[in-house]
Amino acid sequence: MSEALVFRNFGLAHRRPGGEEVLLEGVNLTLPKNGFFVFIGTSGGGKSSLLRILAGLIESREPAPRMSGELIAFGKSLTGDRTESLNNEVAAILQDEGLLDELSPRQNVEMALAASGRSRKLAPALLAQAGLASPPERVAQLSGGMRKRVAVARALASSPQLLLCDEPTAGLDPEAAHTIAKLLREAHDQDDGRTTIVITHDLDAFEEFADGVLVLDRPARSLRLEPPEFRLKGQDAVAKATDAAAGEPAAVHWTRRMLLQLAAIGETIVDSVRRLPPVEMGQVVRTTVRFTLEPALFVAVAGAVIGGLATFFALRNNPIDGGFETALLTGTGKVATAVLVPMLSGFFFTARIAAGASARIGTMKRTNQIAALRMMGVNPADYLLTPLVWAMVIAMPLVTLCGVVAAALAAALATSAASGITMVGWATAYFMTVSAHDVLVILAKSTLSGYLVAVACYHLGSGPKRSGADVGESVNSAIVVGMALVLTVHAGLTFLVYA
Amino acid sequence: MHRLRYFIGLLTLVGAIIAAIWIVRLLRSLDDRAGVPLSVEFRNARGLRAGTDVRYRGVTVGTVRSVAISGDGNKAVAQLLLAPIGAEHACVNSSFWVVTPRFGGLTGGATGLDTLVRDSYIAFYTPPGSESELSPGSLIAGRERPPLNAEPEALDDVEHGDLLMTLLVPENYELKPGSSVIFRGVPTGDVRSVSLAPSGTHVEVQLRIQREHRQTVTDKAKFWVGRPSVSGALLSGFTVTDLSALLTPYISYYGAPGEGVLVQDGYRAAAELSRPAFEISPVPGKAVQQDNTGKPAAPDDVVLVRITYAAVERDTFSADDQILRHGSGVLFLDRSGRSVVVTARSLVDASFTEDDAWGDPEIADEVTKVHRADGTVMRAHRVWVDPTGQDLAALVLEDVPPDLLGTPSDRLVFGGTVAGVPLQIRAAGPDGAELPIQPMASDLDLSEANLGGCVAADGKVFGVIGRKVGDVVAAIVPLEYLPADLRPQ
Repeated sequence: MSEALVFRNFGLAHRRPGGEEVLLEGVNLTLPKNGFFVFIGTSGGGKSSLLRILAGLIESREPAPRMSGELIAFGKSLTGDRTESLNNEVAAILQDEGLLDELSPRQNVEMALAASGRSRKLAPALLAQAGLASPPERVAQLSGGMRKRVAVARALASSPQLLLCDEPTAGLDPEAAHTIAKLLREAHDQDDGRTTIVITHDLDAFEEFADGVLVLDRPARSLRLEPPEFRLKGQDAVAKATDAAAGEPAAVHWTRRMLLQLAAIGETIVDSVRRLPPVEMGQVVRTTVRFTLEPALFVAVAGAVIGGLATFFALRNNPIDGGFETALLTGTGKVATAVLVPMLSGFFFTARIAAGASARIGTMKRTNQIAALRMMGVNPADYLLTPLVWAMVIAMPLVTLCGVVAAALAAALATSAASGITMVGWATAYFMTVSAHDVLVILAKSTLSGYLVAVACYHLGSGPKRSGADVGESVNSAIVVGMALVLTVHAGLTFLVYA
Repeated sequence: MHRLRYFIGLLTLVGAIIAAIWIVRLLRSLDDRAGVPLSVEFRNARGLRAGTDVRYRGVTVGTVRSVAISGDGNKAVAQLLLAPIGAEHACVNSSFWVVTPRFGGLTGGATGLDTLVRDSYIAFYTPPGSESELSPGSLIAGRERPPLNAEPEALDDVEHGDLLMTLLVPENYELKPGSSVIFRGVPTGDVRSVSLAPSGTHVEVQLRIQREHRQTVTDKAKFWVGRPSVSGALLSGFTVTDLSALLTPYISYYGAPGEGVLVQDGYRAAAELSRPAFEISPVPGKAVQQDNTGKPAAPDDVVLVRITYAAVERDTFSADDQILRHGSGVLFLDRSGRSVVVTARSLVDASFTEDDAWGDPEIADEVTKVHRADGTVMRAHRVWVDPTGQDLAALVLEDVPPDLLGTPSDRLVFGGTVAGVPLQIRAAGPDGAELPIQPMASDLDLSEANLGGCVAADGKVFGVIGRKVGDVVAAIVPLEYLPADLRPQ
């Protein structure tokens, strides 16, 4: 097989409600292997979509672009009923680079190496090859050009057969752009059998390096291969308005969307269970410690306020002056300990943790870090969902315990303030009807709600994000959905067990 | 930054674990605490519950840990844990009993409306001189009733108006709290407490004389302790001068009528060493001429009383409001013989006048008292208010003294018109005595001097001063709104 890509009567269209936007029609093209190709065309023509198809980065929650005909990449068919994915043969450098900003540049490269089964020790060499012999410690300290270099080093870590780059020189001055272009060509040359496709508008930077120019002709809806000297002419640069071709009706489109969303929820839940055994142990431990310690004081204070106020007011508003105070305490103690404080602890925990968790995941999605993980061959669920699940399942019960104990202590204080009952009398009365069984039920409630909140945060955070507003939306949803789940679990289990 | 938060969180977590352990130990290891566990058996636990107090002389000295039916189902066993201070006083001959809920305010108006029901608790009493303490784990038989020589709290409460005085006696004579105080052979009070004077030279006995009899105690009255005394030889028969003293000693006193001045609370007197020789004054002649019940001559005039009303309006969002009102009312006997006071409803019903922004006001702890000119104070409760919204209400007096007389029925007019006759206002002053009669003024107000006062024409009362319907200005509310069964014959 000497072809990298084969297009046979290939068509590509974006699905829209009530119509379609056709990007390519009837493309017949063969792209030879080992070539270094520059991919040009007017903006919005479909270059990024094609790149995502090749990289296997299509959003599973949205209707995928409709493909017709055949597209065969390295012998594998990407169209038709049984599509295969290219897996480790493809690496992509996306816009925004998608560097994992919680790790150092070197750790980014090490992660890619480990994911493709190579030694982490190769990282410094790869970085040096990319022109970064001694990279800074933090990704945030990288300049634009340095970011690109790290992205290149990381992409090369898996020794891909197909290297895809989306605007690698965007935002760089001509000299830096030239340097990056040269780097890419050198890397291409080192590895026999690599095909490199670079989407760019910056033909000048790549002109001395390209073997050919792939042109996406928007008006003609075609894809063709031109010699390296090719340049887009003026009128070709202008995109004609596309007709909305007859596509599927809006109702079908929206139904498809909804079913895809539901399937995605199912997928997240399945992932959460299948991927429970921790792979990234460090992440799991770090997240668990953080989720346990950070909200502990907050929840304890909230529990104390609730327990103390409830007890104080119950005793103060006793209609039978001075009488049956112990009975009041027993009632208050049971409802506070077994029902109210655990539920409210769950609320406060969710409010404190869910927002942060889904914001982090949402931002990683927005900046292509999640795509980068997939490209590296790391399942985002292993890296993000599993630690979240473990952390919440362990932290939520522990933090709830803090809340319940704080509420009891505050109730003891309130009792001594509002009546003459001794501490022993308070303890006897308050916990009279609270048993080990209740403690088990509290544990079950908080564990289950912790798990569900974790799944909700991950699912909402990792959905498609087109803007910062989308990230904010998902944070809001995570808090609301999380609290609704806590409420449902607590109320439901309380009803089932005690009613 | 993160490290600080983690540290605080760690502290909280550790603190919670420690607190949880403390609570569990508090609940479980009560056995290890310094304290004396005891078991007390009762035939009837009377609503005793775990967690309530064990009290000695009114002070909480222990806790009831559990109450359960004993194995054979005959008895209820309470497990107590006495604190060291309580254990000191729990001796082998101590009596334990359950103090049960008391309902007050229904008969005799003793405890008042604020404390209706209390948790049952266990009290114990140790007779003086007991030495050997109970050992931990002892099983004791509890009593079903407080012992006769129990603390004063098992006695009737002192009522408002009772006379409290101290009698000094050379020795106790086995007087106990609850022993009677007797005047002319009639019990007029009881002993509240008996204690050795700090100097050790005498015994101080606190007495309570019930308020309806307090005028019998004057500074010239002599007190003595009634004890069994047997005189005469066994063979020739013996005279027991104080029969009742065969059972328990009591205190008796006597003062000749008309001598001495009435005493105030806190009066101290020394008892005679023995019953003084005196002649009980004979029955006064004029008493014979009166009717059998001994009531003084019926008044021919309107009987006015002073009314004091106190209540609390409970507010959900702010502090409770205290309500205090003063005014007057007309006293008479209805056809069933009840002592009825007619007055303005706005005087004795806070729910009629108070407005809550949230709806009906919540009025609690209502206490209405009626003061007569002779100084007696009686409690009253509201039995009727006018359903059509007129400012009229009727009270019925509780614990009416036997000499109470009301306005004669021919002085009260129910219905009919009054025209062309000058009207007069008659009301009672702060001390219960009637204020000078005022002519009816056009600019009548609802001050204390007027509210509830009666309006009379030609010496006959036909209305009461209250609010105009739906307004806050003064108006005459005619007596004809009073229902027939509350009117006199």
